[in-house]
Amino acid sequence: MRVANCSAFLEQLEQWMEGERSPSAEAHIRSCQTCRNLIADLDSIRDTASSLAATDPEPSERVWTALRAQLQDEGLIHALRPGVWDTPKRWLQGTFWVLPRPVLAGAYLVALIAVGFALSGSSGLLNDSNLWMSRTQRSTQPLSASLETEEDAISSMADTNPVVTASLRKSLAIIDNDIALCEKSVREEPQNEFARDYLYEAYQQKADLIAQVTEGDEGQ
Amino acid sequence: MSTPSSRSGSLSRKVAGVIVPGLLLLSALPASADKIQRHFKVDARPVVTVHNPNGTITVRAWTKSEVMLVATRATDQVVVDAEQNGNRVDILTRQVAESASPESTRADYEISVPEDAELQIHDDSGGVNVSNVLGDMNVETIAADVDMADVAGYLTVKTVGGSFQCARCAGRLEVSSITGNFRLIDLRSTYVRAQTSDGNILFTGQFLPNSTYRLKNYNGVIEVRFSPEDSFDLNATSLKGKVHNEAKLVPPSHHRFLPRFGNGLFGSYNSGRAMVELSSFDGTINILKRN
Repeated sequence: MRVANCSAFLEQLEQWMEGERSPSAEAHIRSCQTCRNLIADLDSIRDTASSLAATDPEPSERVWTALRAQLQDEGLIHALRPGVWDTPKRWLQGTFWVLPRPVLAGAYLVALIAVGFALSGSSGLLNDSNLWMSRTQRSTQPLSASLETEEDAISSMADTNPVVTASLRKSLAIIDNDIALCEKSVREEPQNEFARDYLYEAYQQKADLIAQVTEGDEGQ
Repeated sequence: MSTPSSRSGSLSRKVAGVIVPGLLLLSALPASADKIQRHFKVDARPVVTVHNPNGTITVRAWTKSEVMLVATRATDQVVVDAEQNGNRVDILTRQVAESASPESTRADYEISVPEDAELQIHDDSGGVNVSNVLGDMNVETIAADVDMADVAGYLTVKTVGGSFQCARCAGRLEVSSITGNFRLIDLRSTYVRAQTSDGNILFTGQFLPNSTYRLKNYNGVIEVRFSPEDSFDLNATSLKGKVHNEAKLVPPSHHRFLPRFGNGLFGSYNSGRAMVELSSFDGTINILKRN
């Protein structure tokens, strides 16, 4: 029952990252390679962010606020709604579309946390454009790939209400265009915090939109 | 002078003149359109949830300790479920036919609630109108426009393509969209956060002391209209677009990092009692005097 254990472990992810580790979580980590990889990635991101921004180790308030709000929205902080994690799922395997929205957005959130950590920080401490570029690409590429896969959900969406479908498709096209333009700006000026902020938010919007489409499809 | 037969013919024509247009009118209406009215007694601060995929939702406050629902269904291919659980009233439109046209699954709601009611509304297409309700509210739509007036509380509004208008809203306002336009008029809110990707944002009204206004888009126009009596600190930046400013700003006295990229301006207007942050990637920012 690895999936069920992964679900239970995800519920304790925040505590784990803060050093509060229950025996059951430690037991799960010992037996689950997927969760071990996740924790290793998050540790690595946190360590990198800390070392790169030694005088300002925290991500910007905006990033924390957005992430915390989303964690709370999705019930990953404080009380979880019973049954949210009951659905069997192939967590972190690029098949988020089969999951209910809280799980879907929660899974994307893990990727967004990585993007948020990597895209935050004071650019004044990083003068190496190549480093900024590689960090940005390393952070966004996995998420981008996942989101592209999920876009299939929109193309196969049931066309029960043309107004709704048209609005969703138009919005997705606009976000994709925004992402492309932001990426272009980041390529041209890798240290441009403004462009990186917008790129991060565009990804966040896309993840949210796809989650919304998935939820709508499930409701039909 | 008319004969009986001619009077009879005239009467027939008159009757036909009334009945035929009436029949035509009836035939223009969906076959099963009907109206449902329900009443629910509630205590203070009731919670009302509405989930209506297609149709308008109009919510108004009244003085009764009661929630009244008037639902108009386009056809019997949809069912209106309305039930009370303690101090909570849940209203849901449910499609019963597997395949049905959007027109036939439409349901329009008029809901009267106590003014301290908390609202949770979901409407994919149609429209949401809320007025005079003072409780917290959360509204989510896809293509439906949202129009609020004289509301308060913690207001969160999220649309995909629907526009948003808020007149004389108080409390805390957070609104986001992808292609929706926003009109924020004479707000009384102490915290306003409005973000749309490819929509315009208009803010007109007073910037209240000790309040925060964050308006952000990717593309489009952000326009704020201030009056000479207003007092605010301004931070406006557009990375690729232009910033037009009619406010005579005093540069900040304390050290501040100025943006190294794009077009931006910082400064205080009067004594800087409110905080105004305007941000765009590729759009235009206009800071104009209000007439």
